[in-house]
Amino acid sequence: MNRLTLTDFSLRHPLFVILAVLLVTVLAALQFPNVHFDNDPENMLSEDEFVRLFHHETKQKFGLYDFVIVGIVNEDNPDGIFNVETLQRVDLLTHQLLSLRKGSNGLGEVITDRSGTAWKTVDLNPTSQFKRLMNIAFRHNPNRMFDADGNSAVIGQELMSPSVVDNIKQAGMGSLKLEYLMEHVPTTREEALVIRDDAMNNPLFKGILVSEDSKAVCIYVPISEKSFSYNVAALVTELTKSWTGSDKVHIAGLPVAEDTFGVEMLVQMATSAPLAMLILFIIMLVFFRRIALIIPPLLLAVITVVWSMGLLIGLGFDVHIMSSMIPIFIMPITVCNSIHVLSEFFDSYRRFQNKTTALKHVMHELFMPMLYATITTIAGFASLATTPIPPVRIFGLHVAFGVTAGWLLTMTFVPAFIKMFISEKSLQKLCAVSSGADGCEVNIGLMGRAMRWMGIMTYKRSTAILFITVLVMGFSIFGISLIKVNDNPVKWFTEDHPLRIADTVLNDHFDGTYTAYLTLSGTPNQTKTCREEAAAIRNEAKARFETLLPDATRMFLSDMDQVESNFNRANQSDPNRCFVELTKRAADIDRQFGSSWTNLADGVNYLDSENLTFDILKQKVLAIDGVKKEDSDVLMQKLEPHSSLTGTELLNAALAVCDNFTALSFEEFVYEMKAEVTAPVFKRPEVLNYIERLQENLMQQGKVGKTTSAVDALKKASYELNYSAIEPGMSQQQIEQRDQMNKEFYSIPDSSAAIGQVYIQLEGMKKKDTLFHLVSRDYEEANIWVQLTSGDNQDMNDVVLDVQRFISENPPPVPLNAQWAGLTYLNVVWQEKMVLGMLSSLASSYIVVLVMMLILFRSGWFGLLSMVPLTVTITFIYGLIGWVGKDYDMPVAILSAMTLGLSVDFAIHFLERGREMYKRMGNWMETNAGMFNEPAKAISRNAIVIALGFTPLLLAPLVPYRTVGFFLAMIMLLSWLATLLILPALIRKLENRLFNNKMNASINGTHEKEGVK
Amino acid sequence: MKNIKLLIMVGILAITVFSASAADLTADEIVSKANQASYYAGKDGSAKAHMELSDGRTRDFVILRKNTENSADQKFYVYFNGPADVRKMAYLVWKKPSGDDDRWLFLPALNLVKRIAPGDKRTSFVGSDFYYEDVSGRGLDADMHELIETTDTQYVVKNVPRDPSTVEFSSYTVWIDKDTFLPRQAEYTDAGGVVYRRLTADDIQIIQGYATSMKQKAEDIKTGSSTVITFSEISYDQGFQDQIFTERFLRRPPREATR
Repeated sequence: MNRLTLTDFSLRHPLFVILAVLLVTVLAALQFPNVHFDNDPENMLSEDEFVRLFHHETKQKFGLYDFVIVGIVNEDNPDGIFNVETLQRVDLLTHQLLSLRKGSNGLGEVITDRSGTAWKTVDLNPTSQFKRLMNIAFRHNPNRMFDADGNSAVIGQELMSPSVVDNIKQAGMGSLKLEYLMEHVPTTREEALVIRDDAMNNPLFKGILVSEDSKAVCIYVPISEKSFSYNVAALVTELTKSWTGSDKVHIAGLPVAEDTFGVEMLVQMATSAPLAMLILFIIMLVFFRRIALIIPPLLLAVITVVWSMGLLIGLGFDVHIMSSMIPIFIMPITVCNSIHVLSEFFDSYRRFQNKTTALKHVMHELFMPMLYATITTIAGFASLATTPIPPVRIFGLHVAFGVTAGWLLTMTFVPAFIKMFISEKSLQKLCAVSSGADGCEVNIGLMGRAMRWMGIMTYKRSTAILFITVLVMGFSIFGISLIKVNDNPVKWFTEDHPLRIADTVLNDHFDGTYTAYLTLSGTPNQTKTCREEAAAIRNEAKARFETLLPDATRMFLSDMDQVESNFNRANQSDPNRCFVELTKRAADIDRQFGSSWTNLADGVNYLDSENLTFDILKQKVLAIDGVKKEDSDVLMQKLEPHSSLTGTELLNAALAVCDNFTALSFEEFVYEMKAEVTAPVFKRPEVLNYIERLQENLMQQGKVGKTTSAVDALKKASYELNYSAIEPGMSQQQIEQRDQMNKEFYSIPDSSAAIGQVYIQLEGMKKKDTLFHLVSRDYEEANIWVQLTSGDNQDMNDVVLDVQRFISENPPPVPLNAQWAGLTYLNVVWQEKMVLGMLSSLASSYIVVLVMMLILFRSGWFGLLSMVPLTVTITFIYGLIGWVGKDYDMPVAILSAMTLGLSVDFAIHFLERGREMYKRMGNWMETNAGMFNEPAKAISRNAIVIALGFTPLLLAPLVPYRTVGFFLAMIMLLSWLATLLILPALIRKLENRLFNNKMNASINGTHEKEGVK
Repeated sequence: MKNIKLLIMVGILAITVFSASAADLTADEIVSKANQASYYAGKDGSAKAHMELSDGRTRDFVILRKNTENSADQKFYVYFNGPADVRKMAYLVWKKPSGDDDRWLFLPALNLVKRIAPGDKRTSFVGSDFYYEDVSGRGLDADMHELIETTDTQYVVKNVPRDPSTVEFSSYTVWIDKDTFLPRQAEYTDAGGVVYRRLTADDIQIIQGYATSMKQKAEDIKTGSSTVITFSEISYDQGFQDQIFTERFLRRPPREATR
C-alpha cells in the first residue's frame, strides 16, 4: 500500500469507481425522503438536561404553553385599538381561533361571524408554485394544525384575549362584577373606552394584553406544540389579510421565530447551496476554462453533501439548524482539495502530455499535504463531538465524515472521471491555446505578477511583515477580551423580516414579549412540630385573652402544655392532630367561660326584626335561654345610646355589642391560629411581601418590562373586594379619605386566612385555574412571569444574576428555592454550554493539529510554523468580532472549527512544497521565487474560489447564514494572507534554523525513491 | 304535621308511579320534572358537602336551601367549614330563574360582606369543576329540549341553548332516570361536536321520601380535571325561616349551618 494505490486502482478501473460512487450516491439519496426537520433550539440541550426537564416540569405544573403572540396595532385612531371596529375584529379573531376545527378534507375550519353558525374552510397552502414545491420537498404541511386525534393546535381554554380573560371590577351599588374584560363587544365609543379603562386598571392586563399607550393589543395564542406555531401564525395572517385601515397585525414570540427559522432554513438550503455551486462553477471556469475539468470538483462537492446528508438522515437524526449547515461547510473543504489537484494537474499535463502520467504525478505530489490537511480538518470537526450540545456533536461528526469522503473521492473519483470523460485531445487543445510560463492558465499576467511581487516583498520586507503581524495580534487579543457572548433567535432574521419588525413594534408598545419564568418554592415538607407552633400560639393567646379572661387563659395554657406533652411523648408531632385535640379543649373552655354571650348573640341573631324596638328587644333578650342576667344587662346598657334605633338596625347594633364578647372564643382562636401556622408558603403575608419586593427589584433592572405574580392578582382582587364607592353627597374631605382608604386596600392582606379567602375568589372565576399559572395548586410554589424587552441571552443573564444578588442580599423570610424556566432562559443555558464546549473543543483540536504537524514535518520548527497562519487567523477573526461588537453566537462559534481546518491546509501545502523545493534550490531566496510561482497561485486560486463561492450566503434572509458566508470569506482572505506573507517572512528569518541539518528530512521517507513513471 | 308529610310522600309516590307508566311525556315535561326532582325536593333542605378536586384541594361546606311558595325562586346559603383559611366564609344566593340572581359573599378574615353583581352563572364554583349553575340549577327556558331516546330506564334529552353566544357549549344531553326523574348524567358538546364536559349523579338514596343523589361528579374532559362532591346529613323540610337567608346571617352563621 503506498500513496498511489488508490489512484492507480481508479485509473485502471475508472468505470468501476464511477459506478460504485454512483451506487453509494443513489443509496444515500434514497434516504432523503425520510428526512425529519427539527427547528427547536431547545434541542441544543440534551433531553435529560436539568434546565430542560425543569422547564417542562414548570410548564406542566403551572399549566403554561408556548404562545404565538398576535399583536394588533392601531397608531392612527385617537383611541388606539380601543375603537369599536378594532375591538370587533379582535373579538372575531379570538373566537375564530377558538373555533378552529378539522374539516372533513383535513383543512382547518373556523367560524365566519360571532353567531358561530356559519363556518369557512381555510387553506393555508401558498399560492406560489415554488413555495408549494418546497413544502412538498421538505414535507411541510402548511395546514397541519391538529394533533393525531384531530384536536386543534390552539389550547382554547388558555387563550388570552380581551374577549376571554377574567376581570374583576366594581358594578353599581357597591357590588362586584366578575366577567371577561370584553364580555360584550362594544357598539359605541363609550363602551370601547370602558374596556380600555378596565384593562388599564388591571395589572394583569396593562402592558401585557393591552399596551399602556392604548395603541396595541395582544392575543396570546397557546399552542399544544411549538411546531404548530408557524402554521398558526400563517392562519392568523390569513384570517386578518382582509383587514383594511389602520389595524396592523404583527406576529411575534420565540416559538414562531424558532419555527419560522426552521421553515425558512429549508428554503435557504434549497436556494443558497445551489447558488453557491453556480458561483463556484463560474469562478472555476474562469480559472480553468474547461468545463469538463471543473465538473469533477463540483460533482465531488455534490456527492459528498449527498453522502453526508444521506448518512445523517439514514441514521435517523433530524435535520436541525446546525445540521442544515453541513453542506455549506463540506463544500468549500472538498472543493479546496480538488482545486489543489486541478491546479497541479494543469501544470503537470503541460509537462507530461499524458493524463494518466500527469494524474499520477499530481497524486504523488499532493498525497501527503492533502492527507494531512484532511486529517487536521477532520480533527477540527470531530473535536466538536466533545461538546455537550447534541446537535453540535452530530454536526461535527457528519462534517468530519463528509471531509473524509471528499478526500477519498479526490483520490479515486477525480482521476477516474478524468480518465473516463476527458479526452487527451481536449486537454491538448486547451493547452495549445495558451502560451507562456503559466501554460494553460488564463489570467497568467495579473496573478503571476501579483504573486511575483508578493514573493519579493516577503523576502525584502520580512521584518516589517513580522512587525505588523505582532501589532495586529496584539490588537486582536485585546479585541477578543471585548467579545460578548450573545444570541437571540429573533435576531437570526434580518432587520426587514416581518418577525423582526413585529419584535421591534411590539416591544416598543408593550413591556416585553420575551417571557421567562422565575419559580420559587419553599423547602418541601417543612412541617413544624407541635412544639414550634405552640410557642407562637402561646404568645398570641396571652396577648389576646390574658387581661380580659385571666382564668380561662391560664386554663387554656395549661391545656396546651398537656396536649403538647401528650403528643411529644407519643412521638407524634403531627400538627393537625395537635389542633384537633386543642380545639376540643378550647371549646370546653368557651363553654365554661363564654357560653352565655354566645347564646345571647345567637338568640339576638334569630330575633324577628320586624317592629323591633328597644323595649321589645329588652323583653326578648330576657327570654333567651342559657344567658346570665348580668350579660344581658351589659348588652342593654351598652345599647342604651342607640335606643332610638329600630328593626334591623337595632338588631345589628345589638349584635355588634355581642361581637366584642363572642370574639373572645378560644375555639375560634385555635382555628384562626391553625389557619396561620399551617398556611402554605405562598399564603403567608411575609412571603408575599417578599415577592412584592423581589418584583420591585426586578423592575429596576433595565431589561425587565414587566413582572406578574400571584401577588399582583391578589392585590387587585383585595382592592376590588374591599372597595367602597364614593357616595353621593360626600364632602371633598370624605371623598379623599375614602380614596385613601381604597388605595390602602391595594395591598397584600395581613393574614393567611384573609389571603386564602381572596385567593379562593380568584380560583373560581369564569375561567378557573388562571391563578394557577402564577402559583401552584397547593400554594407551595410560585411562578413569577418576567417579561423582557430583549431576547438577548446577555440581557436574560443579567436578570438572572440580578435576582441572585437580590436574594443573597435580602434573605427571604422562609428558605426559598429560586429557579428559572422559559424559552428565553433555556437559550442562555445552551448558549453558555456552547461557548464553553466550543472553547474546549477548539483548544483540544488545536493541540491535536499541532501534534499532527509535528509528526508530518518531523520537525519542531516546521510544526510550529505550520500553526502560525491558523493561529493568526483565529486570533484576528475573533479579535475583529470583539472590536466590531458582533455577538459571539452559534454560527460564529462553529466557525472556529472551520478555520482550523482551512488555514492549516494552506500552510501545509506551502511548507511541504517549500521544503521540497528548498532541497532542489538549496537557498530560500530562489525557493521563495519558486514558491511564488505555481504553489502560491494554487493557494490563491483556492482562496478566491472559496471566498467568492460563498458570497450568495450574504444575500440570505437568515442572519446565521450571512455570518457564515462573511466569515468564510474572511477566513480565506486571512489564511491566504497569513500563509503567503507571514510564513515566507518567518522562513526568511529562520532559514538557517529550519533547513540546518534537516536538508534530507521530508514528509515521507519513500519520497525520494518513488518517482513518476 | 306527620300526616301532612305522609300525604306528600304518598302523593310523590303516586306521581312517580304515574309518570313511570306514562310513556308519552314531552321533553319539556321530562326536563321540568327532572329540575323539580334535583333542585326543588321538599320545601327546604340542607346537606353537608365534602368537595374534592382532582388536584387534591378540598372544600367542606354546608348548604341550606329554601323554596319560595308559588315561584321557582329559591334561596341558598353556603357556609364553609374548611379548609382552615376559608372557615366561616359564606355565600348567599337568591336564585331567580326568570331574572338575575342576587348573590352575596362574606369573607370573615376581611370582615367583608360583598354583593356580587349579576353575571354569568357558568363560572366556577369556588374553583371547582362545578359551575354555580350546576349547584343552583339552570333556567328551563334557556334551552330547547328534545327527547332523543327513551330506554327502559332512562329518558335521553338533548338541550340546545336558545342563545348560543351566552354559553360555552353548543348542546348538552341529559340522561334522566324514569323512576325518580333524577338526571344521572349530562354531557356537554362543543362547537366541534366533541364532548368536553360531563356531570354525573350517583349513589341515589331515598331520604325522607325524596330520591337524592349523594355523590356528584363534574369532569372537564379536555383538561382531565374533575371534582367530586359527597353529600351527607341530608335533611328536608326543616322549616327554615326566611331570615337566615339574609345578609345579617352571613356574618353570623345560622345554627342550621354550624351545628
